[in-house]
Amino acid sequence: MRWLIRRVTRKGKGSVAYEEDIHYGDVLTVGRGADQAIFVPDLRVALEHARITAVAAGRYKVESLILAGIKVDGQITYATTVGAGAVVEIGTTRLQLLEPPTDFDAGVEVSVIDKSELKAEAQSRAKPTSLAQTWLARRAPSWILFTLVAVFFLGLPMATHFLPDLRAQLPGLPLVPSQNAWQSGDLQDAHHFFGSDCTACHEKPFRWVRDESCAKCHAATPAHADPAKFNLPELGDARCAHCHRDHNGTDGLIVRDQILCADCHQGLKDRTAGASLLADVSDFGHDHPQFKVDLPAWSAEGRYTPVRTLLGTPGLAERSGLKFPHDVHLDPKGIKSPSGDKVLGCESCHQPDAGGAGMQPVDFELMCRECHALTFDVTEPGRQVPHAKVPEIIYMLDEFYARRALEGGVSDVTSPAIVQQRRRPGQSLTRQEQFEALAWAREKARRTAETLFTGSACTVCHAVSPGREAGEPWRVAPVRVAGVWYAKAHFTHASHTTMQCKDCHDAATSKASTDLLIPGIANCQQCHAGEASTDKVPTTCIGCHGYHDSDHLILAELQQRAKAATPPKASGGSH
Amino acid sequence: MHDSFLTHARKRWLWVALVLLAGSLVAYVWHDPIGPPNGGTWLGYTLGTIGALLIFWLTSFGLRKRTYANRVGSLRGWLSAHVYLGTSLILIALLHSGFQFGWNVHTLALVLMLAVIFSGFFGVYAYLRYPSLMTRNRDSATRQAMLDEIADIDQNALALADGIDPKIHAIVLRSIENTRLGGGVWSLLNAKDSSDLALAKARQMLDAKEKAGDEAKKVSTREMPTMFAMVDFLAGHADDKQGEALRKLIDLLSRKKSLASRVAKDIQLQSLMEIWLYVHVPLTFALLAALVAHIIVVFFYW
Repeated sequence: MRWLIRRVTRKGKGSVAYEEDIHYGDVLTVGRGADQAIFVPDLRVALEHARITAVAAGRYKVESLILAGIKVDGQITYATTVGAGAVVEIGTTRLQLLEPPTDFDAGVEVSVIDKSELKAEAQSRAKPTSLAQTWLARRAPSWILFTLVAVFFLGLPMATHFLPDLRAQLPGLPLVPSQNAWQSGDLQDAHHFFGSDCTACHEKPFRWVRDESCAKCHAATPAHADPAKFNLPELGDARCAHCHRDHNGTDGLIVRDQILCADCHQGLKDRTAGASLLADVSDFGHDHPQFKVDLPAWSAEGRYTPVRTLLGTPGLAERSGLKFPHDVHLDPKGIKSPSGDKVLGCESCHQPDAGGAGMQPVDFELMCRECHALTFDVTEPGRQVPHAKVPEIIYMLDEFYARRALEGGVSDVTSPAIVQQRRRPGQSLTRQEQFEALAWAREKARRTAETLFTGSACTVCHAVSPGREAGEPWRVAPVRVAGVWYAKAHFTHASHTTMQCKDCHDAATSKASTDLLIPGIANCQQCHAGEASTDKVPTTCIGCHGYHDSDHLILAELQQRAKAATPPKASGGSH
Repeated sequence: MHDSFLTHARKRWLWVALVLLAGSLVAYVWHDPIGPPNGGTWLGYTLGTIGALLIFWLTSFGLRKRTYANRVGSLRGWLSAHVYLGTSLILIALLHSGFQFGWNVHTLALVLMLAVIFSGFFGVYAYLRYPSLMTRNRDSATRQAMLDEIADIDQNALALADGIDPKIHAIVLRSIENTRLGGGVWSLLNAKDSSDLALAKARQMLDAKEKAGDEAKKVSTREMPTMFAMVDFLAGHADDKQGEALRKLIDLLSRKKSLASRVAKDIQLQSLMEIWLYVHVPLTFALLAALVAHIIVVFFYW
């Protein structure tokens, strides 16, 4: 078998030289060994590197004789059969298998692989040696993340403001942020039920929340003061959101900062041109006026018209309408009672009302009558007149003595004989006798009533005067023992149960009920001080006072009135 | 003393950052807003504006780095300011928020900002630590010089192996084919090189072979093909001259192994110096989007 071996040598500038050689044999050996048919002087080539066998005309079997294999048509292989035109690469040498040329059985062209080609191949095979050559990138992930955040946290929630349908559906989708992702903080608990609908309060984009939005629910909230009466810009222009800032958790909505009140309650008399008489106040601990209390008083018609009075005024006396020496009743040794000696305490008469803020009225039946029995006839010590019902007392006494007179047997020696006389069974009185007996009875009832009202019973505790109207024999002065003293503050006994009564009310030494036992500010300041206090209970204005505290003004109505009075502004919210 | 970006201009930017922080803290402590401290108070808006401007400015560092013609301050000065003012953002943003957090876009911006800053901290560490490590590792050579030397060693080793036995030559040839530096992200960061890891051990095994004869054959050979083949060859039919050449070859390949390790280490350090940027930069863009969303949202629903 004749092989044509054609060697191609490049001589620079594109000129090529051919050198042809003839090899006899079936097998063409390739290697670095001197005995090889094709000698490749390359250290990277084994002595016996490969073997090429011509199996047919234009068909060649290529076998690798080394473990690493050889590259045939770009593929690493150990043994393969290829046609003419196939390229075998060994080191820097390239063998191209040819169609058998004329007069030959097989042919191969041997050439040296170009250096730049080798270099390019080495580069293409090289692995990345810096991160920039790997799949890692910065630009694409940057824009992807930017877009994702912008779409899901800005675009989509914003679209729901204008598309109510989307607004309803979006929160139901898993992992997709809705407008809830815009909430800067927890809403106040009471606002949770509509909290996922931002437009409930934020009606227009890029505008402050308007008071009208609040008033949709808070229609009955009382106002603070009438801006028409007190010409204060702070009052008329105050937005709800100035104080009530939601999205700050449950603490955020009811603002307790004393500065909110203190900044306005300075120089009110001057600033309102005398409309306000309120004194300056800035801090409960050191800048708060003495308390004013509602002292009991009654109009000429008997209507309860308390008088607001400054505590500490000289000659101040309580006019409860009751005569009551606390010291006698609170004698620590006890006082005599029909059921033995009794030691009374404050709670014996003063019981908190249902809400715990104030005290229940003193109840004569439960608290007084055991000792202060309203008996009226020594012969019948078990009988008592009712308390506090003048006409009934008169009526009862009339009935009582009429029956006594008609039944007879009265042991009063000053009474007529017919009254003293015992009746036999079945005996009836004549008309004359009846008149005589009832005349005595009326007189007796009148005298007994007079004794009760002016002597032994009522006047012990009450001031009694003759009646001024027909059918009103006696008038007992009205009584007011328990009630609201600090009308403009929200004092409650319920939050002071750790204290004892005597800590605030000096009752044990009080000899007369004209002593006003309601404490002044100095008493409170023993424990309470202003917001910044560290050694006392920090108490801000709304610890005792309310802002929305008017008893006749509704905030929403005032706002509507103000809106009607001023023409609407061109743009922007008012602060 | 070497003036690093941390000590640039006698730590000017450290002092600027500290003054900024002290001012913010004093204002925060002194400020007594209506309700709890939050971003909606005047101080909240002020700190928020400062923070947002800082973030936009810090982001522009990426542009400044590319603008070689820029003459406003040195790049080192910019980096110094970038690091110190960027760090100060942590406190400024927290004070701005009044320490209110939630599952919302506002806290998302904060979290992204913190992620960017802390990835930047790794960058600061990398820039301070790795250049000196790289210099030490290169041992006054360059990476290209080391690669060239590896190529030379390959040629010499082939010549040497050729003089020993065709079998050894084939093994060395395959070892060269298999020696490739670099690879995927993980390989780059872990200093993996796929040169024959057994070579350094081969010398020990050769010594062991001389002492213990055939026992070396029993050592597990799966992971050390080159070593096994060489030792096997020695045990079988190497005469003293070939043994000498083989020892030389092993020395040569050990040197190559050490060089390849150093190149791999160099690639690793280089990659570590860069890898954090692949977190820092994309997160910065996410932060920009979140920040813009945060600002728009706050005023959209004022």
